[in-house]
Amino acid sequence: MADYSIAVDIGGTFTDVVLRHSDGRFWVDKTLTTPHDLTEGFFGAISAVLGKANVSAEMVDDVAVHATTVVTNAVIERRAPKAALLVTAGFRDVLAIRDECRSDIFDNQLEVPEPLISIDLTYGIVERTRADGTIAAQVDRQSVEAVAKELAANGVESVAVCLLNSYKNPANERLVRQILQEKCPGILISLSSDIAPQMREYPRASTTALNAYTAPIVKPYLEALQHGLRRVGFKQDLLIMISSGGVISSDVAATSPVRMIESGPAAGALAAAYYAKRLGLDALLSFDMGGTTAKACFIQNGTPLVTGTFEVDRIYRFQQGSGLPVTMPCIDLIEIGAGGGSIASMDKLKLLAVGPQSAGSNPGPVCYGRGGTMPTVTDADLALGMLDPERFLGGEMALDEDGAQHALARLGQDLGLDQHQVALGIYKLVGESMAAAIRAHATEKGVDWRGVPLLAFGGAGPVHACYVAELLESSTVIYPPMASVLSAFGALVTPVRLDLVRSELTSLAEMNWSIASAHIEAMSQEATRALVKAGCAAGELVISVLADMRYRGQHNELTVPFPSDLIVRRDVVEMKHLFEQIYHRNYGVKLDDLDVEIVAWRVTANGPEHQGSRVEPAKVATTVRNQTRLVRFPGGQSEVPVYSRSALKRHEKLNGPLVIEERETTIIILPGWNVEVDDNGCIHAIRG
Amino acid sequence: MDSVLIRVLWNNLVSIANEQARALRRTTFSPVVREAGDLAVAVLDRRGRLIANAVTGAPGHINTMRTAGVAFTEAFPADTLRPGDHLITNDPWLASSHFFDITIFSPIFYQGNVVGFIGSCIHHTDVGGYGMGAGARDIHEEGLWIPPLKLYDGDVPDKALHAIIKRNTREPEHVIGDIAAQVSCGRIGSERIVSLMERYGLSDLQRLSDVIIARSEEATRERIRQLPAGTYHGETRFDIPGSDEIILRAAVTIDNVKGEIISDFTESSDASPLGINVCLNYTIAYNAFTMHCCLTPEIPNNNGSMEPFKVIAPEGSILNARYPSPVSARHVVGMHVPMPLMKALYQVTPETVLAESAGGLWSVQIFGRDQSERPFASSMFNFSGGMGARANKNGLSATCYPAGISAVPMEVLEAEMPIVFDRKELIRGTGGDGQYRGGDGQVVEFHLETDKSWMLNAIVSRTAHHSDGLGGAEAGAPGKFEINGKTVTDPRKFVMAPEDRVLLVTPGGGGFGQSK
Repeated sequence: MADYSIAVDIGGTFTDVVLRHSDGRFWVDKTLTTPHDLTEGFFGAISAVLGKANVSAEMVDDVAVHATTVVTNAVIERRAPKAALLVTAGFRDVLAIRDECRSDIFDNQLEVPEPLISIDLTYGIVERTRADGTIAAQVDRQSVEAVAKELAANGVESVAVCLLNSYKNPANERLVRQILQEKCPGILISLSSDIAPQMREYPRASTTALNAYTAPIVKPYLEALQHGLRRVGFKQDLLIMISSGGVISSDVAATSPVRMIESGPAAGALAAAYYAKRLGLDALLSFDMGGTTAKACFIQNGTPLVTGTFEVDRIYRFQQGSGLPVTMPCIDLIEIGAGGGSIASMDKLKLLAVGPQSAGSNPGPVCYGRGGTMPTVTDADLALGMLDPERFLGGEMALDEDGAQHALARLGQDLGLDQHQVALGIYKLVGESMAAAIRAHATEKGVDWRGVPLLAFGGAGPVHACYVAELLESSTVIYPPMASVLSAFGALVTPVRLDLVRSELTSLAEMNWSIASAHIEAMSQEATRALVKAGCAAGELVISVLADMRYRGQHNELTVPFPSDLIVRRDVVEMKHLFEQIYHRNYGVKLDDLDVEIVAWRVTANGPEHQGSRVEPAKVATTVRNQTRLVRFPGGQSEVPVYSRSALKRHEKLNGPLVIEERETTIIILPGWNVEVDDNGCIHAIRG
Repeated sequence: MDSVLIRVLWNNLVSIANEQARALRRTTFSPVVREAGDLAVAVLDRRGRLIANAVTGAPGHINTMRTAGVAFTEAFPADTLRPGDHLITNDPWLASSHFFDITIFSPIFYQGNVVGFIGSCIHHTDVGGYGMGAGARDIHEEGLWIPPLKLYDGDVPDKALHAIIKRNTREPEHVIGDIAAQVSCGRIGSERIVSLMERYGLSDLQRLSDVIIARSEEATRERIRQLPAGTYHGETRFDIPGSDEIILRAAVTIDNVKGEIISDFTESSDASPLGINVCLNYTIAYNAFTMHCCLTPEIPNNNGSMEPFKVIAPEGSILNARYPSPVSARHVVGMHVPMPLMKALYQVTPETVLAESAGGLWSVQIFGRDQSERPFASSMFNFSGGMGARANKNGLSATCYPAGISAVPMEVLEAEMPIVFDRKELIRGTGGDGQYRGGDGQVVEFHLETDKSWMLNAIVSRTAHHSDGLGGAEAGAPGKFEINGKTVTDPRKFVMAPEDRVLLVTPGGGGFGQSK
C-alpha cells in the first residue's frame, strides 16, 4: 500500500528533506537553500534523498508535503510585480495610516514598514456598506471600469479589494470582482471578504494586500513544483504546509498564499505536537534556538496554540508593531531575538548585557574565526566547556577557543570579572531573557507556563534548554531524534487541516441562530471541499466549531471550542458557562452581571491522523564513554562524562551533569538532572 | 550581590511588569486601554520608589507612578499594611493629573513584611462629571475624586467605596470590572515577585532597589556630564479653540559638573480657565520622558534615572495648576511639553531630537440615543497629526508624538455606534518640507446616522499655529476643525443636529534641515 512519503522544508538557510517508509525507516538530506530559484534546491534535495534510499519517484505513493519560505521572502525582498488595491472612496491611505501607533514610545528613531502596495496603485471606489451589512451605496460601475482600464494599462497582474464593512456583507466586493473579471480577464483578485472576513479595516486590508502582492510569485512557483514532480515521476499531488498547522492542496494554497507565511515554523510546531501525542503529554513547549533567534510554541492537548493575528517583516529591531499585520490563523509562535550569535557587551549601567545585536553567521561568533571580535553566546558556551572545539558540526569546523577566551576576558576587564564569570553571566542572561519572553507571551495569552516540559532542538536549543526549563519551573526536557530536520519531519506527520473564520457580532442573549447556522454551514462546506481536494475522504473529516467570545464592551476575545452537540442544541447557557470557565482560567476573575457576546465563528476541519507514523529508534550500539571534560555550570564546575548520542542505548539511564554530543548540536545536562532514552529515540532529561 | 545577579534580577522585575501590563490590557473594558495601550504597570520598593516599569504607551502614566509612590507611602506607611490590602487614588495632584486615571497599589508581602508594591494606572471609561473635554469650570465639575484610600482591607473589598464609585460613573460595570482587573494585576504581580525572591534567596528588595536606583542615577549623570554646560532656550506656541494662545517656554540648564539638567518653565502661560491645565507631577513626567528619549534611551526608567532632571514651574502656571483649576484634558498641553525642550536640546544634541510634532492627540467623544432609543456613549477616540522629522529620517504621518497611542478602527466605532465615516485620508504636503519631511496630517470626516440630536466633545489643537521645522526646514500646516463647513472656535460640548457633519484635519509635523 502506501509505503513512502516525502517532505521538503525550504528555510532561510537550509533546505531539508525527509523520506520515510511506513515501516519507520527514514532518510534525510540537508543542503543550502537556493534563494535565486527555490525550485532548484527543492528538486536537488529530492533527488539526493531518493538516491540515498535507492527509491524511485514512482515508489513515493503516500504524501508529498512542502513547507516553504517563499511568501516571506517575497515580502521581505519586495521584488514581486506591482499589485493594486481597491478601497472605498475616501479611504485610500488605509495602509499608510496603519493604526497610528508608535510601538516603542521611548524610541525617537522608530520606523514603520512601507505599505506593500503604493498609493499610486490604490484606487477609491464609490460604494458604501454599513456596519450592519446594509448597502448604503451600490458599487459605481463606471468608477470600477475606469480603474480596470488603468490596471490593464499599467500591466498590473494582481489586485486586492478591501471595502469598508465588507466582513459583514461581501456583496459589493463580489460585484467589484465581477466587473474586474469582465474587463481584465486573467487578473488575480483577492477579496478581503474571502481572505480575512474580520472587523478592523487596517489589518484586513494589510492581509488582503499581502495576499495580492505575493500571489503572482507563489502561483507560478507552486505550479512549477507540481509540474516538475510530475515530470520526475511523482504521482501524488503536492500538499502545502500552512501557518495554522495543517496541509492543503497546492492549488488551494496558490489562491491564498497569505496562509503560507509561517509554513516552516508551523511544521516544526507540528513535529512537537506529534511528540506531545506520542509521549502522552497534555502540554509541551517547543523550544528551537538557532544562530540569531529562538522560537517557542506551546502545544496543548496535542495541538499547537493558534493565534488569529501576527506580523510579518518586522523591519525595526524585530519589534512588535514594526511589521505588517496579518489576520490569519497561525501557530502562536514566540519569536525571541536571542541566539548563539547574540553579542555580549557592557551597557551604560556598567552591567553585562546580551543582545539585541547579533553577529549572525557572518562574521559570527569570535570562535568561528571569520573576523568576529565581540564575544557571543556561542563563545561563552565554548569557554564554559559546553562545546567541544574539535567536534563542532561533527568536526567539520574547528572553533577558536583561545579567541573566544580572549574576547571574554577583554569584556571582563571592563566589568571587573574574569572570563569564566563573564561566560557564565552570558549563559544565565540569555536563558533569563528567553524565559522572560516565553512567560510574557504566555501571560498575555492566558497560558499557564509553569512546569511545562520543553522539547529542545535547533543548533543552540539543547545547550540552553535545561537552564531555561529551570527558570520556567519545569522539570522535563525532551531531545527528539532527527532534530536537525524536525520541520520537514513535522510536515510529514501533519494531518490535512483548514481553519476558517467569519465575523458576526451577536450578544448571546439575542442570538440569531439562523444567521449563525448559515455561517457555520457555509464554512463547513468550504472546508470540506478543500480537504477532499487534498485527498481526504469526506467521511474521515472532523469538523469543529469554535467562537471568539468576550464580555460585552471588551475588545479582546477568547476562542472557545464547543462540543458538537452544543450547536445542535443551541444551548446558550452552556456556551456562556464554557466561556466563563476559560476566562477564569486565563485571568483569574469572573465578571457577574455582564452580557457575553460572540464576535466571530470559526470552523476547523481536520483530516485523519497519520497511521504508522512510528519513528525507527536510533541504531543501538554499545555505550562508549568517550571521554570527560571540565564544564562550568551555573552553581559549580566539574569534570563530566561526554557521550555520543548515537552510542546511547534504549532505556539507558545516566545521572547529570553530563554532555551528549550529536553532529548538529550538543545536549548539556545540568547538575541535578538525569537522563533516560525512550523507545522513540527521544532523550528525556528529568530534574531532581 | 554580583553584577550578573543584579542584571538578572533587574531584568526579571522589568519582565514581570511587562507581563502584567499585557494581561491587564487584554482584560480591560476601557477602550483607550485595550485598543490604545493607555496604561502603566510598575514595580516599586517598600519606600514607594519606582524601580521598574512596563514599556507601554503612556509616558504620563508611567512617570507619575513615582509621585503616586510618595503619596501612598505617606498616607499608608508600609508597617501599617496587611496582606490583601489594595490602595486606590485618582487625585490629579498626587497621581496622573486627571480623574480618569485611577492608580492602584498592591503591597507585596514576603515573610510577613511589605517588600514593595505593584502599581497600575489605567484610563477608565468614565468617572462622572463633565466627561472627557475641556469645558468644566473647576475640578469638581470633572467628576469623582478619590483620595488615597484602602480599596481592600486584608482581602475584604471596601463595600462603601465600591458603592460610591459605582454610583458616580456612567459606565459602572466597566469601571468596577477594570478596577477588579487592576487588583488582579497587583495580586498576580506580587506572586511573581515573591517567587523571584524565593528562587534567588532574597529576603527583601531593598539592596536590589538601592543598586538599581544608584546605578541608573549615576549613568544618567555621567551622560549629562558629557554635554556642554549652558542654558539653552526653546519655545512653542499653539492654540486650542476658545483659548488664548498658549506659550510654553523652557530654559534648559545643563550642569555638567553635578550632572543635572534643570528645565525652567517660568516664562510659560498662566493657568487656563479651560480644563487643559497640567499638574506639576505630569509636567515632571513629560520632562523626564523627553530627556530620557533624547539623551539616555538605553538607561532603564526608574526613580534614579529621573532624579537628575529637575523642573521649575511656578504655581498657577499652566504647567503647575493649582486647586481648583480644571485639568481633565491636560494631555493637550502636556503633550506639548517635549517641544520647547527638544528645541533647546537641538542646540546640544541635534541628532537625537525631533522637529515639532502636531502635539496633542485629537480626541473625540460622542453620545446620544440611537434609532431604537438605546443610549450610546463612546469613550474617547483619537486621531493623530504628523510627527516631526528627525535629523536623518522623515517624520511618520498620522502618528502621535510623544504618546504612542493607536487609533480605534473605524469599523469598530461604526459597529458600536451610529457613527459613519465619510473620509479618512492623509493630506500630502501638510508635513513641513526640508531635508527630511515632517509627517503628514490627515482629514477625518464623519456624521451620525440618526434622527435625534447628539452631543460632541472634541479636543483639538494647533488649528492656527503651525508646528515649527528645525534647522531651516519648513513648518507643518495647521489643522482644521469644522462643523458643517464652519470653523469651530468654542472648546465646549456641542449639541448637534442629526444631519450635522464634522470635519477634522490634523496638523502636519515640522521638517528637519534645509531641503536641497
